Amino acid sequence: MMRRVLCAVVIAVVWLIVLGFAAGVVWTSPPLPSVKFPIAARDFRVVQGAGVEDGSSMRVGSVGDDGSALQAVSIDHLRADDFPVLRYRFDGFPRTLELSFFFRRADAPDDVQPAVTVPWPDGGWQSIDLSKVPGWRGEIIEMGFSEYPTPQLAPTSVAFQPFRFDDIELWSPSWRGNFASLLTSWFTYTPWALLSISALGPQREVAQAVPLVPLLLFAVALSLLVAAICLCWSWRSAVFRSAVALGALWVFLDLVWLDDLRKKHALTETVYAGKPWNERAQLVPDQDLAQAAERVRSYFASQPGTHRLLIGAESKYVFLKLIYALLPLDVAPLQQVAHLPWPPGEFFVLLYGDSSWHYDEKRAAIVDTTGHVVGAASGAVFGGGFAHNSRVEPVFENGDLRLYVRRAERVPSP
Amino acid sequence: MTLAFAWLLAWVAGTAVYCAFDTRRAAGWWTSAIGHGLVFGMLLAGAMAYFFAREDTAHALRHAWLPLVVVAAIAAALAFWRRRAPVTTVVAKPRVERWKIILLAAGFLSVIYRGYLALREILLRPTFPWDAWDAWAVKSKTWFLLGHYVPFVSAAHWIDAAGTGDYTGPAWSYPAALAWVQIWFASAAGAWIEPLVNLPWLALWIGLLLAHYGQWRALGFSTLRAAAFAYVLASLPLLTVHVALAGYADLWIATLFGFAVLAWMRWLLQRDVNQLALAVACVLVMPWLKLEGAVWMLMSIAVALACEMPRRARHVVMGALAIVAAIVATVGHIKLPLFGLGWVSIGWHSIEVPVIGTLSIAFHAKALGGAFSSLFLQPSWHLLWWLVPLVIAWRWREFRVSRALRCLGALLVVSFAFLAFLFLFTDAAQWAESYTAINRLVMHLVPPVITLLALLLRDVPLPREPIHTAQSSAPHSSAA
Repeated sequence: MMRRVLCAVVIAVVWLIVLGFAAGVVWTSPPLPSVKFPIAARDFRVVQGAGVEDGSSMRVGSVGDDGSALQAVSIDHLRADDFPVLRYRFDGFPRTLELSFFFRRADAPDDVQPAVTVPWPDGGWQSIDLSKVPGWRGEIIEMGFSEYPTPQLAPTSVAFQPFRFDDIELWSPSWRGNFASLLTSWFTYTPWALLSISALGPQREVAQAVPLVPLLLFAVALSLLVAAICLCWSWRSAVFRSAVALGALWVFLDLVWLDDLRKKHALTETVYAGKPWNERAQLVPDQDLAQAAERVRSYFASQPGTHRLLIGAESKYVFLKLIYALLPLDVAPLQQVAHLPWPPGEFFVLLYGDSSWHYDEKRAAIVDTTGHVVGAASGAVFGGGFAHNSRVEPVFENGDLRLYVRRAERVPSP
Repeated sequence: MTLAFAWLLAWVAGTAVYCAFDTRRAAGWWTSAIGHGLVFGMLLAGAMAYFFAREDTAHALRHAWLPLVVVAAIAAALAFWRRRAPVTTVVAKPRVERWKIILLAAGFLSVIYRGYLALREILLRPTFPWDAWDAWAVKSKTWFLLGHYVPFVSAAHWIDAAGTGDYTGPAWSYPAALAWVQIWFASAAGAWIEPLVNLPWLALWIGLLLAHYGQWRALGFSTLRAAAFAYVLASLPLLTVHVALAGYADLWIATLFGFAVLAWMRWLLQRDVNQLALAVACVLVMPWLKLEGAVWMLMSIAVALACEMPRRARHVVMGALAIVAAIVATVGHIKLPLFGLGWVSIGWHSIEVPVIGTLSIAFHAKALGGAFSSLFLQPSWHLLWWLVPLVIAWRWREFRVSRALRCLGALLVVSFAFLAFLFLFTDAAQWAESYTAINRLVMHLVPPVITLLALLLRDVPLPREPIHTAQSSAPHSSAA
């Protein structure tokens, strides 16, 4: 019996050490925080969007023109090193929003430190280890939260729902703070991202803890070793029990994954459930691109015949997304043919947002950043003994969208 | 109604084709037939659309259903004509403890639950993952909405070929088999409705699981063990992601590779020539799904041939390969015609693959970190890659006594060596560092790896010597 008790104690110590290491526990710190610095949400001021006081909380009821909301609070020269743990609490925070934390330091009062994405507030308190946040040092004079549609995922038009911002607390170093941060980091919900199809690990949040899989495996392996030594397991028994332990660990990891999958899917339900396909097809994260594509499509619908369209944009994502949205138009990325000489004939060129190309009115051409005319073939001789000059004319401009047409002017060869 | 007909017809045709291959009803036969049937059916439907609906893609179902019915009828007739008496070996069924049944039921429910989540995800969302709208659905959407087939050509060719009606795009050279599968279902839906076009990915996953369960049963596994390994396969997070965020070709390659390996194992262990034919069919389909499929096909064929060769012939082939390597070393490069990839030029400093481009060769140490993190730290695979070396080390002796295991081991070693070379020694290293491709290519090998683990950990011993007659085969097959 004594042997079993001893074994259980040793295993408990093993787990404490392993989890403590993962949580970054400073062993000399107290189990509970000696100083807490609470700030009620009503003390925050609304910088963007709109919010009203609701008891000690703040009810955020709308967002700014860019679809985001922002609340900030000034604080009296708080030493960052004294408060490495941030805890925050929201109620009814929409699945479709992402939360980021920002702060300002006394040594650079005009600069907001780069905002960092923090774990989604899944009801109750969430904690993060600020010591892992770049720039969390010196004296803090302001901090705040920003909420915005989940990138790559939530359509701006339906992303916002009112929510309540309850309060935050800054904690002095403690075991509890470190373990709370570890739990939040491991079990927080992370939304789908474009990278999800290739890897589930890397996420946008800062202050990520040691990965769950190897750490739990290490703790289980150590526990098995301790148990095998303390309880004098035979080889056969050790193998069997190890298999059972690994199986249980697999199931545990699977339950964690299923919970994450359920939460990921909740966002999809929030945005799309109960809507017909025609409506859902418009609810894409990049609605500006969808609208631009719609504008271009309606233009070509009124143009008889077939047309070739080249799309240029700075971001690969943007021009590829536009190409897909414009199908079945005969579209191609401008990037792939910009350096090639184009034959005579009509080509439309669509430039979206910032791009490496722009329209040069004087030369009636699309030129790149070096001044080179895209598709230049002036002077080149094509069949029939004719050279050709091309001329590009604007067709229409709508916000970030510019459509041009390039037509060849056939001229007799000299 | 039309959509239901398209699904039912595809599934029936696929099942009939599988039954024509699998003439002996071993344990797990019906799950195997349903699983393979789902996957084969979708591919057959795509093939029929390709052959009979190129001029009117919007009504592909209308043009291709009858040919598919004919294929189904011929396959069903073949299956009936070739049917053999089911294996009647009666093996005493060990009593399964209640706690195991409860665990099994819980695992089954968890698989159903994630299937439900994936189904809802597919049915609700417009196509989401990058390559789905950048590459895999471009041809199908174009052909379907245009109403007819048009060729996709390189951008340089496209710009010169005004008036030909050719199209282009970044993925113009990608195989089009999945595009035709999507056209079949889009035409059944009557419009380009992305959730319905992406639904085959859920059927693919179900097919993968059922077929693996059935084939493991046919290889002699108990119900419990086969179900446990099916749960292992179903629980792998990245596989579920590829269903929920449907649209990539990787799960198709993984499934076909998994099917090929299972059938190959049945050939090696039971000398069932039908299974060999099935393996060959699966392997030959892979290049039509994704370019990497050509690599896996070539490796599978090479290893399978090596396994069938007498030792002496194998040595001769190894010698020939050494000579080729020596030529590359002295001449500096060599050009090889590789099916599905074109004339591949291999040199000391670069490899040129016509449809991919040039990959320069140099060691990328940083990619090691990306590869390690992808396999061992991230939650994409649970404990799989930690357990693989442990199980292999623990059951190492199994390789010494079983030729089938040695052959499968050799195929996986060669395949992983290829991936290691690709991600550590070529420009593809950036995709390991950024985690954008390494897991997906590793995923192609996951079903065969699970089969290897299952065979290493199976509850019935493998035959110690290769078996040469079908009569004396299947020593572990039991009545279902």
